[in-house]
Parts: sequence; C-alpha cells; structure tokens
Amino acid sequence: MFHSILYHRLPKMTGLLLLAMLTLSMAIPDPPVSGKVVDDYGHPLPGVVIHIKGVKTEVMTDKDGSFSLEAAAGATLVFEHTGFNVAEAKVQDGRPILVRLLDRYLHQPIPPAVGAVATGDSIYLPYAPSNSLLSLYGRTNARSFLGSVATIGPNQLSTTPAPSYLYALPGRLAGLNVLQTSGFYTPLTADLTSRDIFVGNIPNNTSGAGPTDNTEFNVQLRGHNASQGQSPIAVVDGVQREFYSLDPENIESVSVLKDALSTILLGQNSSRGALIITTKQPLSGPPRVSFTAETGVQTSLKLPTPLPAYQYAYLLNESLLNDGKSPAYTAADFNAYRDHTDPNGHPDVNWYNVVLKDNARLNRYNLNVTGGGNSARYVVALNYMDQQGLFVTSDANPYNTNADLKRYVINSKVDIDVNKDFNIGLQLFGRLQDGNQPGAGTSTILTGLLNTPNNAYPVLNHDGSYGGTANYNINLLGQTISSGYKADHVHDIMANLDLNYKFDKWVKGWWAKAKGNVSVQESSFQDRSKQASVYTQSISSSGDTSYNHFGSTINQSNNFTNTSWARYRFVQLSTGYDRHFGDHTVSASVLFDQKKVLLNYDIPSALTNYAGKAAYNYKEKYFVEGALAYSGYDRYAPGRQYGLFYAGGLGWDLSKESFLQHQSGWLDQLKLRVTYGRTGNANVDNYGYFIWRQHFSGVAGTYPIGSNYPNGGGLAEQGIPQSQVLANIDATWEKADKLDAGLDLSVFHNHLQLTADYYHERYFDVMQTRGRSIALIGLQYPAENIGIDLYEGGELTLTYQDHIGDLNFFATGNLALQQSKVLFMDEQAQKYSWNVHTGHPIGQRFGLIADGLFQTAAAAASAPTIAGYTPLAGDIRYKDLNKDGIIDQFDVAPLGAQKPLLYYGLTVGFSFKGFEASVLLQGVANREEYVNNGYTDAGFQAQKNGYSQAYTQASGRWIPELAATASYPRLTAGGSGYNYTPIFTSNSFFLRNGNYLRIKNVDIGYNLPYSWMSRLKLRGIRVFANAQNLFTHAAYKGVDPEVSLPNYPMQKVINTGITIRL
Amino acid sequence: MKQQLTYISILAAFLGGLGLTSCQTTYESVPLGQQVTLDLAFDPLDSLGKQAMSYLLTTYQQAFYSGYNRVIGNFMDAASDDAISSASGIPAVQAIATGAYSAANPNADDMWSRDYAAIRNATVFSVYINRVPLMEKLPNGQPARPAYRSEARFLRAWLYFDLLKRYGGIPLLGDAIRQISDVIQLPRNSFSECVDYIVSECDNIRDSLRTAAMVNPTSYGRITKGAALALKSQVLLYAASPLFNGGNIDPTNPLTGYTSYDANRWKLAADAAKDIMDLSVYSLMPSFNDVFINQAAPVGTNTESICWMQDGPGNNVESANAPVGFSSAGGQGVTSPTQNLVDAFPSDSGYAITDAAAHYNPDDPYAHRDPRLNLTVFHNESLWLNRKVQTFDGGLDKPGGTLQQTKTSYYMRKFMGPFESVTSNPPSYFAVTHNFIYYRYAGILLNYAEAANEFSGPSTDIYTILYALRKRAGILTGPDNTYGVPQGMTQDDMRTFIHNERRVEMAFEEQRFWDIRRWKIAAQVYNSAPLQGLDIQISSGGQIFYNPIAVLTPIFRDPQMYLYPIPYSEVIKNNQMKQNPLW
Repeated sequence: MFHSILYHRLPKMTGLLLLAMLTLSMAIPDPPVSGKVVDDYGHPLPGVVIHIKGVKTEVMTDKDGSFSLEAAAGATLVFEHTGFNVAEAKVQDGRPILVRLLDRYLHQPIPPAVGAVATGDSIYLPYAPSNSLLSLYGRTNARSFLGSVATIGPNQLSTTPAPSYLYALPGRLAGLNVLQTSGFYTPLTADLTSRDIFVGNIPNNTSGAGPTDNTEFNVQLRGHNASQGQSPIAVVDGVQREFYSLDPENIESVSVLKDALSTILLGQNSSRGALIITTKQPLSGPPRVSFTAETGVQTSLKLPTPLPAYQYAYLLNESLLNDGKSPAYTAADFNAYRDHTDPNGHPDVNWYNVVLKDNARLNRYNLNVTGGGNSARYVVALNYMDQQGLFVTSDANPYNTNADLKRYVINSKVDIDVNKDFNIGLQLFGRLQDGNQPGAGTSTILTGLLNTPNNAYPVLNHDGSYGGTANYNINLLGQTISSGYKADHVHDIMANLDLNYKFDKWVKGWWAKAKGNVSVQESSFQDRSKQASVYTQSISSSGDTSYNHFGSTINQSNNFTNTSWARYRFVQLSTGYDRHFGDHTVSASVLFDQKKVLLNYDIPSALTNYAGKAAYNYKEKYFVEGALAYSGYDRYAPGRQYGLFYAGGLGWDLSKESFLQHQSGWLDQLKLRVTYGRTGNANVDNYGYFIWRQHFSGVAGTYPIGSNYPNGGGLAEQGIPQSQVLANIDATWEKADKLDAGLDLSVFHNHLQLTADYYHERYFDVMQTRGRSIALIGLQYPAENIGIDLYEGGELTLTYQDHIGDLNFFATGNLALQQSKVLFMDEQAQKYSWNVHTGHPIGQRFGLIADGLFQTAAAAASAPTIAGYTPLAGDIRYKDLNKDGIIDQFDVAPLGAQKPLLYYGLTVGFSFKGFEASVLLQGVANREEYVNNGYTDAGFQAQKNGYSQAYTQASGRWIPELAATASYPRLTAGGSGYNYTPIFTSNSFFLRNGNYLRIKNVDIGYNLPYSWMSRLKLRGIRVFANAQNLFTHAAYKGVDPEVSLPNYPMQKVINTGITIRL
Repeated sequence: MKQQLTYISILAAFLGGLGLTSCQTTYESVPLGQQVTLDLAFDPLDSLGKQAMSYLLTTYQQAFYSGYNRVIGNFMDAASDDAISSASGIPAVQAIATGAYSAANPNADDMWSRDYAAIRNATVFSVYINRVPLMEKLPNGQPARPAYRSEARFLRAWLYFDLLKRYGGIPLLGDAIRQISDVIQLPRNSFSECVDYIVSECDNIRDSLRTAAMVNPTSYGRITKGAALALKSQVLLYAASPLFNGGNIDPTNPLTGYTSYDANRWKLAADAAKDIMDLSVYSLMPSFNDVFINQAAPVGTNTESICWMQDGPGNNVESANAPVGFSSAGGQGVTSPTQNLVDAFPSDSGYAITDAAAHYNPDDPYAHRDPRLNLTVFHNESLWLNRKVQTFDGGLDKPGGTLQQTKTSYYMRKFMGPFESVTSNPPSYFAVTHNFIYYRYAGILLNYAEAANEFSGPSTDIYTILYALRKRAGILTGPDNTYGVPQGMTQDDMRTFIHNERRVEMAFEEQRFWDIRRWKIAAQVYNSAPLQGLDIQISSGGQIFYNPIAVLTPIFRDPQMYLYPIPYSEVIKNNQMKQNPLW
C-alpha cells in the first residue's frame, strides 16, 4: 500500500524538484546516517533517490542535496537520478556520506527510470513527461512525437577531438551518412566578383549557393546525394544557418529530423531533412565555470607508398617497352638510382618525407561559464582552437607557411524571465577564423606530392639552390616552405532575439513567440605568395659545375580579395495553443517566417513560409497530427514562387491499451507511428542564377579585331562561351512524397529502447538535364524538373543501459539500410536492356564488364576489342555483351552488385566510480569502391612532357612470370586508353570491395575524487584521453576508403586533456 | 495588469517592426544590371550598336577555334602522314591516326557541339542586328550594318563547311532561333543541299562585305569579300573531289556525298578560285616565311592571306613546337614531322628526290633541298638560335630519357619567326604575329590548278601557277624557267604533281589531313607502311649515320573513317538523325 502511495504521489512532485524526504519505518531502528549528494560541479543535487541495497527503503535528497536515513554500518546505499550514473556508498558508523554523481554518457529523450529495488518487489519512479526532445523550432515531448529523429548529446560530442562537430557524427545518428572528403578545411580563395565592361561588377558566384564552412564532409540524409542541394538544412539554435565549424565541446546536442512531418515547417526546403544543433544552454544555479584544455597529435591515415627511383625506372622501362617505345633508362641508371651514388644526376627523393611532417598539433581550449537565478540565466562560452597542418616549415621564414586553422568563438546567451509570462532570450555569437596555407596552395602541393616521381629532380643542389628541370620548373619543397603564404579570414557575427509570451491569463494555453536573427559573415583572402626558381646542376667533363636556371622567381605578392560577404536575416512569428482537457491534449500553432540571404553582389533571396500545425492525442495513446506550409522562394519566376506543402501523422501507443496494461511491469512504450507528406526542395540556385530569365551576359577576353589585337569583353547568350545555357522558364522546386513508418519500443523501465523506421520517399520534379538535349540547338539545356527517384530503406537503433553496483554501462547501436532507384530520367532509347540506366540505383556506375586479364597473346588477338586498340597479353578482357565482335557503348552495363548500403555504428562504454570509457565503432557494408586514381593505380601517366609518379601498386602488374597473381593489367606509360579510363569511364576490373570498419572514437577519462577537490578548492578535475580514427579495417588496402590524395588526408588524432571545474 | 499591457505593447511593437522591415525592399527583384536582355543586347535605340558589336566579337571567337596546336596541344596534321605527336602516353591526335575513336567516344577533333553552338551565335546576330539602327558607314559610303550581318553569315557558312568536311551532310538550321520548348529533332540535309547552301550564302554576302581595300586598322581582322570567295572556292573544291563526287563511300546515300559523278563540279571549283585570282587584290609574298608572321595588308605587308584567325604577337608556336634543347628560349617540341613529309620536298632544283636529276645524297640528305624544307621542319644541323639543332641520339635536342622530344629526329619549324640567328644573349625569342591562316592566295592558286587539271587537264595556266609558287619558294629557276616542273605531264601526272606541291606548300596548315580524305587516298596513305623517322647516330669520328625507323603505324578503316561518326548521343537523342555508314 505504501508503494502505491509513493507511486501516485511522485508525479505531482513536478520534475522531482520538490523536497520530499520520505522515510519508511523499519522493524529494527538503525542509527541515522546523513549525507549530501552533489553533481560534477559539487553543487547540491536535489531529487536523488537513495535506498539501502536489498532493503525496501528510500529517501530523496532535498534542495540542498542533503538526505538522512537510518542505516546500519556496513550497509550499502544506492544513489539514483535520471540524468546521472548510479553510485553506491557504504555506511560507516555514522559518518556523513558525501556522494558525487556523474553525468550519464547517453542523454536520451526518455532516460531509464530510477528504481529502488527491494527484495522481491520494485518501485519505479515513473517518467515525467517533459519536452526533452529537440524538434525543429523548439522542444517537444518524446512520447507524443510521431516523426523520425536521432539525437546525440554532449558527451558523444565532447569526446571527439576535432575542429568541427561534424567529426562526431559518423556512426552515431542512424540514417545520417557523414562522409569525409578532406582532412582539413579548404578556404574560399576566389574573388566574389569579376569586372564586366558593360555593367560593372558581376557576381562570380552565379550558383547562388552561399559560402559554407563545411569543406570536409559530405552530409547525406538517407542516401540523398544525387541532386544538388539535398543535404539536411542546418538549424543552429532555432535559426537556419550553415554553421559547422564549431567546437564539439560547445555543442549541447545534435539531432537529425528525417521524416516529412517533423520538417514540413521548412516549406520549400522540407525535403532535405534537418540537422538541429543546439549550443550549450544556460543552467540556473550558482556559477559553473569549466575550463578544458586539450592537445592532440594528428597523423595522416594511409598515405600511398611511392616506388623508389630504381624500381620506378625499371617499371617505366617496362611500360615503354610494352608500348613499343624505346626505354628511357640504362642499366647504369638503375645502379645509380639504387646505390644513390649520384644524388644530383640520379635523385631518389621520397617527397612524402621531404614535404610532410610526421604529425601535427590540434590544440583546443574551452571556457564555459553558466549560472543564474530564478529570473535570469546566462551562459558564456569561449573557444580557441588551433589546428596545424602537415607541411614542413622552415625557421628561415618570419611567418608561418604551414596549413593552419585558428578559430576564436564567443557564444553568449542570456535568458530572462521578465515575469512569469514573458521570457526574453538573447544570444550573441561571434567567430573569427584565421586560416593559413603555403603560398603555392595546399591542394597544389598535395597534387604535386602525388604525381612527382622520386627521380624527378633533387630536392636541393650542392649550392643549396632548389633542384628542378625544364619540365619540373617548380620545386615541391620550394612550394612548401619558400612560396610565401596565403591567409584567409572569416568573421561571423550573429545576434538572436527570442520573445516568448504566455497568454494564460486570458486563454489558458495560449502563447506567442517572436524570433529575430541577424547574421553577418565576411571572408577575405590574402595572397602573399611567391615563387622560387629552380636550377639543374650539371658537371661538365672538365669538372666544372654549372647551374641551368628554369622557372621564374616571382616576388612576394600582396593581394587582398574579398571572397564572400553575406548577410542573413531570419524572422519568425508564431502563436499557438497547448492545452490538456482531461484525457484530451490539443495543440495548434500558426507560424510565419522569412529567411533573407544577401550574398556578395547578388540580389537577396527570400524564402517565406506561412505554416500551421495541429496535434491531438487521447490519453497519450492515440495521436494525430497535421501541418500545412505555404511557402515561397523568390528566385523562381513571378507567379511561380509559392507552393503548398503538407504532412500528417498518426500514432498509437499500444502499451497504454488495456490489453497490454498488465504488461506494464516491463513494457514502458510500444508506439507505432506513421507520417506522410508532400515536401519541397528549392535548390534552383545550384543550377544557375535566375535560371528562368532569358538574357545575355558579358564575357571576358573575346576576339581581337583591330591591328593592335585588343582583347576586350564580349557578350554571349546566358553564360560563358562554350557553356551557354538556355533559360528554364518553368523551373520549380523539387518535390517528394515521403512516408515514414516507425516503431518505438521501451522495455525494462526504459533500460532497453528500440527505434525502428521504414521509409519510402518518392522524389519527383528532380532537377536534371533532359535526355533529348540535342546539341543542334546550340546552347546547353538547363536543368529541368524531370527526374523521379525512389529512396527506400530502414533504420534501427537499439540502446541498452544499466548498472551493476557502481558499474554503469551502456551500449547503443544503429543500422541504416539504404537503397535508391531511378524511376524516370528521360533516358533515350537504348539498344540493349543492359544499357538502360533507369531502374538502377541513383548514381549507378556503368562500364565495361571485365573478365580477367588476357594471359596469352593468342587469346588477346582473337578477342573482341575497342576500336583502334590491339590488346596484348596482360590487358583486360572485356565481355562483348551483344556479341558483335566489338567492344563499344553497347557493351556497357551496370557495375557491381547494387546491394543496399548498410551503415552501422556501435558505441559501448562504462563508468566505474570516477573512471569512464567509451568506444565507437563505425562502418559501412555492401559498399563498392572504384579504384581509379591514375597515379596510385595506373602510374606513369603522361605529365609535364614526361611521366608521372608510380606507387607500389604498380608492382602488382601483369607480367608473364606473375600472371596468376597480377592485380593490375600490364603496365603502360601514360595510361592506356584500353585498360584505364579514356575509352569508357569505368570498367569492372577496378571495382573493389569498399567495406570498412573503423574504431572511430575511443575515450577514457578519470574524475579525480571529490574529496581531493575540496582540498584544492576546486569543484572538479577530469583528465582524459581520446582518439579519433584510431584503427581502420578496410577490405581494400590500397587507399583510405573515404579520403585519398590529392585530397588532404584524413587524420588520426590522439588527444589528451584536462577539464577543471570552478 | 498594467505592466502586462506594457510588455504586450513592446511585443506588438517588435512584431510590427519586423513586419515593416520585411515589406520594404532595397533591392530589385531581378538582376537588371547584371543581365542584359535582348532589348539591351540588340538595342533598337543604340545607333552605335555597342553591345551588338561585342556580341559579334564573341561570335567570331566561337567560330574561329584556335588553329596552332589545336587538337589537345597538337597540330591536326600530326594525325596525317606528315607528322606525329612527340607527347608521352597516347596523345589525342595519335588516337585519330590510329582510329581509336568511335561514335560513342568521338575523337578529339569532333566539332559537332562546338560548331552548332557557334552557328547559333551567328544566327542570333544575323537576325537581331536588324533591330539595331547602326549609323556606321563603310569607307565606300554604304551602311555598315549589312557588312556586319554578312560577317556573321560568313562565320555560319564557314562553320557548316567545318562540319560538312567531317560528317558529310548535316542539319541546316536556317534563321530560326530555337528555344527550350522547340522540338529540335531535325534530320540531316543532303550533302548537295549543304554545299548549295554554303555557296549561296557566300554569293549572297560577297558584295555586302568589306573589300580588302576597305579594311583599315580599326576593322583589321574582319571578314572580307575575299574570304567569302575563298570559302566558296574551298567548298566547291571539296564537293568536286573524289570522296564526294563519284567516290561516295555509300554510293546511294545523299548524306555522304553526291550519288553520281559530275565533271562540271570541277569547273565550278576552278571558276570559284579564278574569281579570286581575277580580283587582282591578292598576290604571293616574296618570301615564304613572311606569309605566316606578317599582318595582312593594309596594316602589314602581307598580300597573301585572305582569311585568318587573329592572334596577337607572341611565341606560342615557338614554345610548343621548337626543339627541346633551347632552355633559355623554351621549346617543347610537341610536333615530330615524319620522314614521309621530308621526302616530299624536292631538291633545290625542283626535282623529286627520287629523280636522278635531284642528285639526292642519302648520307647528306638536307643538302640542296627546296628552301621550304628548312622553313617547314628542323632537322639535325638546322640553324636555330645561333646553334645547330642536334637531333642525333643523345644530342641536346634529343637527349633521351623521359623528356618529351622528337620521335623522328625532326621538329616543326613552320610559322615561327626568323630566329635562326638572334642578337639576344642568352638567345631568346621576340614576339611575332601568329595569325592562323585559313585561306591564303597560294592555296587558292593550288585550288585552281587542281580543279582545272581535273576538269580539262594540264594547261598553261596551271604551269604558270606552279612556276609562281616554286619561284617564290626559292627553287632554282632551272632550264627554260621551269623550276623543275616536269613538262608535258599527263592529267594523272599533273594530279600527282599538284597533290605533292600542295602537301609541301601547305604543310601543317590543316590541309593534308582533309586532302587525303577528299582525294580518297587516305586508306592507301595510312595503311601502306608505318610512318618513318630517323635514328641519327654520330660515330666518334664525327660521321653521321641516318637510320630510318618506323615511328607509328596508323590504322585507317576503309571506308568507315573517311567521315567522322555523328556523336552517338546525338543519334540516340534524335530519332531523325542518321549515322554515317559503318559507325
């Protein structure tokens, strides 16, 4: 009976904040024990449930975190709180007990219930419904949410040693594929305008797409990357704004909204899904000051291994002989390369060792101050980050030439309750980013690194001058340390004002909100590059040394370019009504918002939404919800700017049904939910600037008429010469019909939670060039609303967390299965069924089907071949699918198995007393990789009037002696149009298993005992070490599965740090 | 309560403020300044026609497509039997010579899309220029607008010919300017319709164009009447040639040529060339090399060039093609002329080297040769930048190793400035004019000679032309002032002789590649033997050994490769588009 009283009373204790000390009388009185429970700041923690292990007794801490109960010496007390790990403490003859509870690693919208276990019986504090789930413009109740969402909290983020929070996302959010494309950011370097002789400055950025600070990741939701502008909309603190370069440490949580209903308020962008980013929020209470200093060591993953010069020379000779050309090197050359007897005439330089450092630093410092009282709360976060690049530097330079990114961020929020109805939120955000790179440019150097042979030229001549030749008239080391530098700067300021008003006085449940946001971004680029000449040293027969000069010395320039200037304005007004009437809960709201973007010299664009949303549920058992958005984008032709988008959802929580009610001992939630909607994607800016407008535009450098060959401007129809495009007067937004059906299951008092989703998304009016794009018209056809694509798949997230005594542990895993299909693409009549692209996955690779290598000349001579080529032994045998004796376009077929991609991630971890540890495994299965890097896989490409670098892969080439084990065709110098790309873009010989599994993140930490802290007058110290990309297992060993040169290589980061709390 | 109302009014004011700002507009809703509409591009009020004139310049740029090293860094001629590319790997131009292309993978010289884009430009100009009330007058007092319009029409006709010689009959689009909603699945016009159209365009515009005499330094480089006549001459010459006239590779197919032979086509071609000769405006330059590095009359002294692509002074030709050993001046030696071309040059007395009268010595092969040889190729011991070119094995200009260098022991010399001896130290180039000549008077003379011989056999006219060309070339006058031209040739002998003279005179001018096709001898030329070069060795005693080597085996699939394939994509997108035979 007592139990039931407790059970029923607790919900009224509104969020467990009420100070209730409940003592249950026992048969034999034990001595009283008192104590205090604090959080990781040493602040008192109210509402902690304490019971004696094995005994049916519990008390709660009061607002001072204090408790008192009667317990025998030697008894174990168990301390539980929803947001914290479970802790235990032994009673020691009446001494007060001080317990510190540490934050749970996983912050789930529905956390595990806190329970007191008694012999043979259990009492659980029921979950109090709260708006803990982040939705598009606010928070919502996870119990009644019908959409598809995945969320991570601060711990998953802060354990990631990286410059941007995107690094923390791979493997953590089901359905969100975060694919890395570069290991370092790439600054904007292009001027924002060019000068037109007729109309003055014209924008270079004709795509209309704004600058982004994400140049390292391709963020795809549910596999969408076929059409431009389909990646999720980033919503940072309630504002659509592309902020990615933020320290993971500053982020409170990241959620991804995947279905139609939860993103429909985005109107013309609602197809894209939303990434909801919340920076650290103000917390009430005494000031909490935390300072974290971290330093990481970055090392590159998987750099290719170049051939030493003598092997290079040997294999190049082999290639030339294969091509019927005369060899380039003699036996004496081989010897000189191998023995390094003539470093000048026969250099053997491993450029990777010359140009790259072994490792580089990543230093981060974060200061976070938060606190406040009942009427006002604040948070100020300061962040400094310095990510250094991989290039060697020289002390001779008074300036930094290395790639580098320094970032300073201040983010402050003040939250004021003017009275109990009126709340004002004010946020000010400022960011400075200073980037640097060698004057020659990071990408230029990495490309040079990839393609310069070991024997191209010596690094330095005897006199210390840079080595070089007529072909290589710039020295790679010279580009790295003697080319000056290029600096880039990005400045952002954002101000956010929120006004929230409750009209409960007049109509209970009525509220209104206003949000205003102004954000300015400016980026500039400073070119202070120079160039050094190179010299070829030659020693005459008489022993005189002479230096032949190549290339040119270019003095340091000093150019300043404004690369971007952007202003964003966002206004949102909404009013709504939320009310419970007994078993009925209704909520309804209407919303207006407008996002105005002014980029560079462009005309501002405005995206305007008028939206309404209504939801109803009965007893939290049956749910129904619907929303409409009337949304317009002014980059479409007048009269064609507005469209109506809608979505609806239904939900049913079976666990609330009477027939399952008796299962409530273990079944907490079994919710079936489905949403469906018609969404839009206004991505027209990616296909041209005012694409509907027929016009002429100025072009540079035209035909010189006149005796002095003037080279002025010209005029062309729509676009630049050779890429002029017809206007698309009918352009409209892409649309999608999206169905999402899901299941949320929570059992064992929310210790085990499962979320499963199935989706079926039919995209139509997808921007594509028509199939009948006949060249006779003389202009290129624009992208039109043509394509129909199907995206289908499922996601599964399973989370278990529990504790055994003081040992708190968890495991959360997610799977996403993704498949796509082209339903329509205006494909023209194909001759054979295997030539047809329609019906295959979007972006399906087509090519020739390889059938091994020719092992004999006779086999090669008798086989069907490509026009103009005579295959030899060691060449690839292609399948002649139409059996006409010729390998041509009719033999092109889809390559690979076309199995649905499977992305997965698994995080496991534990916490024991002050120790914490977690590991994230992340991988992809059913992935196929096309290995077509001409330098690493073919080698000896024609380059700079000579031949480029080759890598150890080349030694796997076909030769008669190694015919059985050959992994590549016979070598050719300059690539073969038969075996490699020039003839048909792909062939299946180079398709490899692309599966990989990474130990993406490892974190271990130790919170120094609280008793030590009080002596140090500190609130807490946590020391930790973590690592990113610690280990990779890839099916194909040649290159990293995600990033390979010439892109900046992916980094393994091993990071150590300390957090001090004051 | 009062306080509540205050807050609400603050809120209302804030909302009102937001509403207000969102209603105001500081910016136009469409980019008025950045984008020029049709009314501005062809302004009915602009008597200067400023924008229209710059549109015309773009049209020129689109139509005339860089001549030297045009095919991915190489001369088109490097796909004929006159030269090969020195580039490493498989250069695009070599893929043309070896037939490594198909409809789905067109060769690097496929001009289909490019030419149709330029044709649109020309049509847009020729249609819309009529809206512009140009005030300008030609020097003869006539309005200039028809001249400008005719320039665009010339460019369009020129482009159709550019397509015609590659593909045979092609769709003629007329004056329609098609938009996105227009159906453009158009069929090919027959070969004869295309020829008639181009010729009629030339006839229609010839008298409204400027004459060469009307050109002044400001209008220098514009299309003149002579260009229209030269284009007509060239088109009719091609139309009369065996590939299209009597030798149609698909005899009943009107797209690939005439379906029957008509000797009179040769007469039309001869007459068209004669028209230019009768103008008495153009004449041969006294010096062969000056033709290529002088601006045309009246700005320069060049009386020979008729139609060319303007290109300012510079050294692009030198730096791309000169021998590789001149590090101070630069030279990438991308073009390796063949022994086959070198052997086509006669002796300095005008006799073919196979003729005993030439006194040709294989151990001293470059002595006493047609002076045009030294102005066309570099051979071992040619003088250049104050030293002798070394293309023997291990020589400065053929050092071996991986550097791009000659594969034949020859480099291309033609079109370069007179840099044999220079005063600069270290030796370097100074900028010279590098217009790429499409039509010049010598070519017109050869057109006439060829067509007249085919129509009516050798004549005094023809001999006179040959004497004039050889005289200018610097060939010794010889007995009876015959410059080594054999007397009393039959029609067949004369044909062979003119073909060779054309090859020698117009090497690297993008003639040979098309000539061997229109003469329908490409199969024989390409498939008879590998192209030859020399491997030159010097003994320790200084003796030079010239060893012929095979440098490339071209492949010509007869008769498929006489015409280019229509790009496969155009065929599948357009149900009216017929592919060329065998592609």
